[in-house]
Amino acid sequence: MPIHKVGYRGWEGQKIPVSRRWWIISRTGIRVVLRSRWVRRLMFICFFPVLYWGLAVFVLEQYMAQPDLQENLSKTTEQMRQIQQLDLGNRRDNRRFRRNLPPEVRRLQRYQENLAMLPKSDIVIDALQSPGADTRHIVWSWLLMTFFRYPQSIMLLFLVGFIAPGLISRDVRSRAFLLYFSRPIGRFEYILGKLVVPAMFIAFITCLPALVLYVFGVMLSTEWSIIGMTWDIPFRILAATLILILPTASIALMLSSLTQESRFATFAWFALWIMGHGAWLAIVLSQAVSFREPPFSEQVMNSPLVENWSLISLYNNLGDVQSWVFGFDQFSDIWPSFMILSFLTLVALLVLFRQVSAPTRI
Amino acid sequence: MPPLIAVQNIVKNYRRMRALNDVSFEIQPGITGLLGPNGAGKSTLIKVLMGLVRVSSGSGTVLGNRLGKQGRLIRSKIGYMPEDDCYIPGLKGVEAVQFSACLAGIPATEALRRSHEILDFCGMKQERYREIETYSTGMRQKIKFAAAIVHDPELLIFDEPTAALDPEERDNLLNRIQILCRDAGKSVLISTHILPDVQTICDHALILASGQVRLNESLEVLNRPTAPTITVKLARQETAFTEDLQRLGLQVQQDHDFRHLKVSGDRENLSQLVWKTAQQNGVSIHALSPAKNSLEEIFMSAVEEANVADS
Repeated sequence: MPIHKVGYRGWEGQKIPVSRRWWIISRTGIRVVLRSRWVRRLMFICFFPVLYWGLAVFVLEQYMAQPDLQENLSKTTEQMRQIQQLDLGNRRDNRRFRRNLPPEVRRLQRYQENLAMLPKSDIVIDALQSPGADTRHIVWSWLLMTFFRYPQSIMLLFLVGFIAPGLISRDVRSRAFLLYFSRPIGRFEYILGKLVVPAMFIAFITCLPALVLYVFGVMLSTEWSIIGMTWDIPFRILAATLILILPTASIALMLSSLTQESRFATFAWFALWIMGHGAWLAIVLSQAVSFREPPFSEQVMNSPLVENWSLISLYNNLGDVQSWVFGFDQFSDIWPSFMILSFLTLVALLVLFRQVSAPTRI
Repeated sequence: MPPLIAVQNIVKNYRRMRALNDVSFEIQPGITGLLGPNGAGKSTLIKVLMGLVRVSSGSGTVLGNRLGKQGRLIRSKIGYMPEDDCYIPGLKGVEAVQFSACLAGIPATEALRRSHEILDFCGMKQERYREIETYSTGMRQKIKFAAAIVHDPELLIFDEPTAALDPEERDNLLNRIQILCRDAGKSVLISTHILPDVQTICDHALILASGQVRLNESLEVLNRPTAPTITVKLARQETAFTEDLQRLGLQVQQDHDFRHLKVSGDRENLSQLVWKTAQQNGVSIHALSPAKNSLEEIFMSAVEEANVADS
């Protein structure tokens, strides 16, 4: 046969198993998404918080290594508590006394108030005041929980909002379903392949940096025994990532499958998050006004109205379940959030399966 | 030789509408044209054959695999080119073909090599490196064609393959289909409205109307007239010659320019009779050949039968 024959030639070779073909859809999806310059920029930005949390891990190790720092913190905390509890007899004198405190003390007070607004910070402060064998476990877990909850969950919202809405809606618009399903693959492989695309990006901005932070902490501690004491943290990171991935990717893909226009899916995605969390924030503000306290103060956050309505926010539900994953809450405290997320994931997957089969049914 | 496709009493209902009504047929290897008016059930039949939709009742086999039970196995042996202007967004031409090859199970590197080979066969040049969204409809047809054959399937199903192609590209595509059948031994099922395409390349025709098979026959048989018939091409209109032929008891159909005649009659020496009459009348015959039945006539009569049966 001539070398440059351009006629048709048959093909014989070993085919890859059907069970692995979902990865072809994922791989191609990831490659197409990464062509977007905006996605690449966003992913770059998503890694900035790691530096901040890495600094916190470094400071913790310095603190653990220097007993005089521990003593100072213990003393300062005690003094701050005494200042806070000081009662001069009437409210006006108390206010005047606090107003005339030295600036350094007032700054410390502000730090303390800000820290108190973060969930489960009291557990961390207690652990730091009397350092023991489990201090690193508690503080690392708390740092990772806040890392997942604050910067990365918000980044995830934007990243998924960029990536997922076009994944199925563009296939619907370009009628690509027939090209997929005329091959020996089914709905399951198609949906799994598509789900893995946002999942990989979510894992890349959450699981990977969290594991890097953990390894960084272990390396700084200079004690190998620390691995034995914190062996469960990498598994908790994986579980927390999974909890972020399953509901978010399913819901985003469901929205994508409901329309041919990816911008509608993007709008619905952001609306879903903003409306729920916005409504809850409105309740928080109303309670803050009625209690005459700062919005995220302990009294406001522990009020029954704020606690009960917290369930309407997807963001809060994710945060609550992650708090359980990192060992700061019991399952009995967070089961409503867990059930809501499970229900939403299930509904999203059911809708997704139905929508994906629709074009081939007719 | 076992049939390529054999279906028995297939019924497919979409809620109250019956898309396929007791469809039974067998298709032998070769090129088969699937004909039918809009809404005849052609696309539904193709989806049934590929195992994409479940039949309400009936059974069948495609390439020896049972319908409904072995859909994936069937699809792994089939190359399908859909009618719709469909593409996988965000991919370049060669990537789209590679992606199709990978979905069919070819490893990635080999799929890329194979994609280039197939795109060469399809006459696709540097435009293969452009994104599909920038392609014309004709170029997308080529990509769909390449994606359908890249995994070297046994059976090819083409749904309106020549739609939206210019005459030159249409001829090229039909040539490629013939090469696939003749040289590579592929069997092809073409669903089309363009009857000359079927006339040009098909061995068999399957006419579907109102969800039922109206005709399933080889084109050779279909083209054969019921009585011996010849077509005669004259230099000019020859009224006396025509009248003489009619006087001899032959049926003569004239074309609109009166130069093309279709002469039929139950005579063994029909052509000799025509030559002799022409000589007697001093008529110059430019061409004389055995006549074929027009596929259009066959198609129209099958559709009319279906309409009469429906009413």
